[in-house]
Amino acid sequence: MIMKSELIIIGGGIVGLYSAYFLAEKGFNDILILEKSYLGSGSTFRCATGIRASFTTEEHIVLLKESINLWKKLSRELGFYYEQGGYIWLFRNEEQLKAFTEFSKLHNKFGVPTRIISVDEIVEKVPMINTEGLVGGLFDPIAGKASPFQAVFSLENALKDKGVKIRTLTRVKKIIAENGRIKGVETDSGTFEADKVLIAAGYGSRELAKTINVDLPLNNVPHHALVTEKFKEAFKPLLIDWTYSAYIVQVQHGNFLMGMDIEEKPQQPLYQRVDFIPKMARVATRLFPWMRNVNVLRYWTGYYVMSPDRHPIIGPVEEVDGLYIATGFSGHGFMMAPIAGEVVSEWIVDGKPKYRVAENLTLRRIKEGKFIHEKAVFG
Amino acid sequence: MPSSKKIDRRIWEHPILEFKRGKEVRFYFEGEEMKGYEGESIAVALYASGIDIFSWTEDNRPRGAFCMIGKCSSCFMVVNGIPNVRTCREPVRDGLRIERQRGLPDIPRVTRDEEGLESKTLETDFLVIGAGPAGLSAALKAAEYGLDVILVEDHFRLGGQLVKQTHKFFGSKDLFGGLRGFQIAEELSKKVSSNPKIKVFLETLAYGVFKDLTIGLASKKGHYKVKAKNILFSTGAYENYLAFPGNDLPGVMGAGGAQTLMNEYGIRPGDKVLTIGAGNVGLIVSYQLLQAGAKVKAIVEAMPQIGGWVVHAAKVRRYGIPIYTRHTIKEVWGNNRVEGATIVQVDEKWQPVPGTEKDIDCDLVIISVGLTPDTKLLAQTGAKMKWIPELGGLVALRTKYMETTVPGVFVAGDAKGIEEATTAIVEGKIAALTAVLRVLGHVDKAVEERRQLVQYLEQYRQSPLLSRSRRGIEKATIES
Ligand SMILES: Cc1cc2nc3c(=O)[nH]c(=O)nc-3n(C[C@H](O)[C@H](O)[C@H](O)COP(=O)(O)OP(=O)(O)OC[C@H]3O[C@@H](n4cnc5c(N)ncnc54)[C@H](O)[C@@H]3O)c2cc1C
Ligand SMILES: Cc1cc2nc3c(=O)[nH]c(=O)nc-3n(C[C@H](O)[C@H](O)[C@H](O)COP(=O)(O)OP(=O)(O)OC[C@H]3O[C@@H](n4cnc5c(N)ncnc54)[C@H](O)[C@@H]3O)c2cc1C
Ligand code: FES
Repeated sequence: MIMKSELIIIGGGIVGLYSAYFLAEKGFNDILILEKSYLGSGSTFRCATGIRASFTTEEHIVLLKESINLWKKLSRELGFYYEQGGYIWLFRNEEQLKAFTEFSKLHNKFGVPTRIISVDEIVEKVPMINTEGLVGGLFDPIAGKASPFQAVFSLENALKDKGVKIRTLTRVKKIIAENGRIKGVETDSGTFEADKVLIAAGYGSRELAKTINVDLPLNNVPHHALVTEKFKEAFKPLLIDWTYSAYIVQVQHGNFLMGMDIEEKPQQPLYQRVDFIPKMARVATRLFPWMRNVNVLRYWTGYYVMSPDRHPIIGPVEEVDGLYIATGFSGHGFMMAPIAGEVVSEWIVDGKPKYRVAENLTLRRIKEGKFIHEKAVFG
Repeated sequence: MPSSKKIDRRIWEHPILEFKRGKEVRFYFEGEEMKGYEGESIAVALYASGIDIFSWTEDNRPRGAFCMIGKCSSCFMVVNGIPNVRTCREPVRDGLRIERQRGLPDIPRVTRDEEGLESKTLETDFLVIGAGPAGLSAALKAAEYGLDVILVEDHFRLGGQLVKQTHKFFGSKDLFGGLRGFQIAEELSKKVSSNPKIKVFLETLAYGVFKDLTIGLASKKGHYKVKAKNILFSTGAYENYLAFPGNDLPGVMGAGGAQTLMNEYGIRPGDKVLTIGAGNVGLIVSYQLLQAGAKVKAIVEAMPQIGGWVVHAAKVRRYGIPIYTRHTIKEVWGNNRVEGATIVQVDEKWQPVPGTEKDIDCDLVIISVGLTPDTKLLAQTGAKMKWIPELGGLVALRTKYMETTVPGVFVAGDAKGIEEATTAIVEGKIAALTAVLRVLGHVDKAVEERRQLVQYLEQYRQSPLLSRSRRGIEKATIES
C-alpha cells in the first residue's frame, strides 16, 4: 500500500513538530511526520531547556527575539511549562567583560535589553553563589526555559487535532526524487509518497541528504549533561560560566541540569565518559560549594548538530524541487524551534519568509561561502 | 512533635535470635534527644523509637520505612543539614541532627569538605559489584586462585540479603547446610575481610558503566575509576510493589523491609500484621513476625492456590492464621500510619467481587509480591537483555559459566534472575572461576572445579519445586 501526502517531515524532534504546527495553522495540514524512534528521542529530550536571544549576529538576535514571543504565546495556548527566568553570563576576567559589553550593545540595537551587571547584582539574583574569581556578568532578562517533554507532548496533541499524521518507529532510509522533483521517501516499513519533503532529522539529516546527493556540511558533536535531585527553587536564571563553557539551570521540577564542553570528536557514537561527572562537579562546586552534598541522578549525551558558522540551515534546497531543510542548529535548536518552524511554513506556503534575515539562513550561504559566524555558543 | 518518647520497638527476647547491639549513641531528632545503637542505621534507630513518618511528599503525604535496603528513597531525611540522605543506609552516630523533609527540600545548608577526597584510577583482575552471597563467594574463589579482587558494596556491612535470613539452609556442609543465613553471611564476610587479595570498598556505590567498561565508584571518601579485566554484577534484587489506595502510608512495607528491621536489627516492625502474597517470602516473613512477637491477622493471595511451599504454609497454619486465596488488598487507611485495611475477593478475571470486602484490624501491611533483578547497572554494559517472567523480569543472557554477551562481564545471584542464596553462592564461584581462566589461561583445577559446580547446579534445579526458575534459566542460557 502506498500512502500519499503533500508533505513528509522526517524527524519528530522539536523542529519537525513546530514546522508541522505552523504549517497546519496556515491550513496546510496534509502532512505525515516520520520518526524513527519516539517523538523527542533525538537531541530534543536531551537538551538543557534554555531559551535566549543574547547572540552575536543580527540573524540570531532578531529571530530568537521573535522565537521568545512565540514560546510565550504557545506555552500559554498549548499549556506547557515556560518561564522567563533570564540568563546570567558569568565572567572571570576583564577581556570577557569587554567582549560582552560590545555584544550587549548589539543586543540592545535589535531590541534585546541585556546589560552588564556587577558581582553584587549577581549575588542579588543568585544569593547562594560563590563569587570568588568572578568579575561581573551579563544579564539577559528576556531569556528563559521550557519543558521539552511538555512542549513535545502538547504539540503532538495539537497536531493530531489539526489532522497531521504522525508515524513513530519508522526510519526513513532514502529520499526519492525523479527529474529533480521530490516523489517521496522509502522507509523500513514501506514507501510513502509526497510532493514535498522537509528534512528535520537533526543528527540524521546529513545521511538523509546524501541519499539525494545533497551535501550538508554538518558535524554531529557529542555533548554531555547531567541532572541532580530536586530542590525548592534556589535561583531562576540559567547561569553560564563562560570560562569553562559550562551552564547550570534549575529546571521545571527543581532539579539542577548542567553541562560543559569536554573534548569530543565529531561523528562519534554517544558514549558516557567516566571523567565528565567529576569535571562537571568541579565547576559546579566552584560556583556552588554546597553542591558537594547534592546527588547526581542521571547523566547522558546528545548531539549538537554543528554547521560551519553555527547558524542553522533553514529553507528550500534549490537543486531539488520540493526539498526543504531545517537543521544544523549548533546547540540552540530547542530555543529556535518555534521561529524555525514559522520560517519553514512561510517558505513552503508563501514562498518567502516574513523576516528578511531568515533568507540568509538557506543552504546557499554555505555553498557560496557567505558565513555568518556566531560566537556565543557553549556547553 | 515526636510524641513517641517511650516507645521501644526493639526485641529483647527472641526464640532463635540474639541481637548483639553496639555501643549506645545519642542523636537529635527534630531537636529532641534520642538513642540508638552503633551498627544501626538512622532509619532503624528512629523506627525503633516509634518514629513512623520520615518525610512528607510535595502533596503532603507521609512517608516511612519501606524497603530498608537503599532501593526506594522512602527514607530520605535531612541529616546534619544535608537533605535527601537515605537514612536506611546511613549509620547512626553520636550527635547527628536529623530532620524530616516537607515537600521538596531546601538546598544543603552545609558544604562538605573537599580536603582529603581521593580521586584514583584502579586496576584489577576482578571487580565484584555487590557483596551478597554471590559476590562474597565469587571474591573468595577468585582470590583463592591468586586474582586481585576489588569488592564494592553500597551498604555499610557485607552480606547482602543473607544477613536477614534466619532459617537453616539445606544441603551439604561446604554449601553451609545446617547454618542459618546470617551465620553464613558472617562466615563469608570474615573470610573476605581478612583476605589480602581482596580490597573491600564499603559504603561505596558503583554508579555507572562508562566508555571501555570503566566503572565509576563513589563514596564519602572519594571517586574511583576502575578498569577491570573481569566484572561481576552481583547486585541482587529489589522488591515489587502493588498499586492500591494508601500504599504509601507508613506501615505499608516490603517483606524485605520488615525482615531487615526484625532479623537484622531486632526491631518489631508492627504488632498486627496483614501479609499480601503467600509465596515463600510472604509465608516465611509471616512466620518470622510471629517469632518476633507480632500477631499475624491474615495472609492474602490473589492466586487460587498458595504459591509457597507446603512446609512453610503448614507452619503458619499451625498458628491458626487464615490464608485467603483469590483475595487481594483493596485499600489501606490510617492517619499517620496504617490503622486498618480492606481485603476483597477476586473473580477469575482478577476483578474484585463486590460485597466480599473484609476489614482487617492491623498496623502493618507487608507486601510480598516478588522481586525484580537489579540489572540497571549491568544493562549499561550493553549486555543483551531479555524479558523472562520466570526470573522476575529483565535479565541478561549468559552462558552456563555466567558470562554475558559482553566478554568478561558476568552476572550471578538474584541479579541474573530471582532464585535463592545457595544458587547465588554457587553461581558466584562459577563466575569467578571463569574469570580465573580468562586471566590465567588454562588451569586444570579451576576447569574441574567449575565443571563440578555447574553439574551441582543442574542437579539442584531438578527439584520439581524449582521447575519455574529452571524454565527461566533455560531461556536465559546461551551457548558458551
Ligand atoms: C546536552 C545538550 C544540551 C542542549 N541544550 C540546549 C538548550 O539549552 N537550548 C537549546 O535551544 N538547544 C539546546 N540543545 C540543542 C537542541 O537539543 C537541539 O538543537 C534541538 O533539539 C534540535 O531539534 P531537532 O528537532 O532539530 O532535532 P532532534 O530532536 O534530534 O530530532 C530529530 C529527530 O529525527 C529523527 N531521525 C533521525 N534520522 C531519521 C531517519 N532517518 N528517519 C526518521 N527519523 C529520523 C531522530 O530520531 C530525532 O527524533 C542541547 C543539546 C544537547 C545535546
Ligand atoms: C528483600 C529480600 C528478602 C529475601 N528474603 C529471603 C529469604 O527469606 N530466604 C531466602 O532464601 N531468600 C531470600 N531472598 C533471596 C535472596 O536475595 C537470595 O537468597 C540472596 O541473598 C541473593 O544473593 P545475591 O548475592 O544475589 O544478592 P543480595 O544478597 O541481594 O546482594 C546484593 C548486594 O549488592 C549490593 N549492590 C547492589 N547494587 C550495587 C551497586 N551499584 N554498588 C554497590 N553495591 C551494590 C547491595 O547493596 C547488596 O548488598 C530475599 C531477597 C530480598 C531482596
Ligand atoms: S531506600 Fe531507605 S527505605 Fe527504601
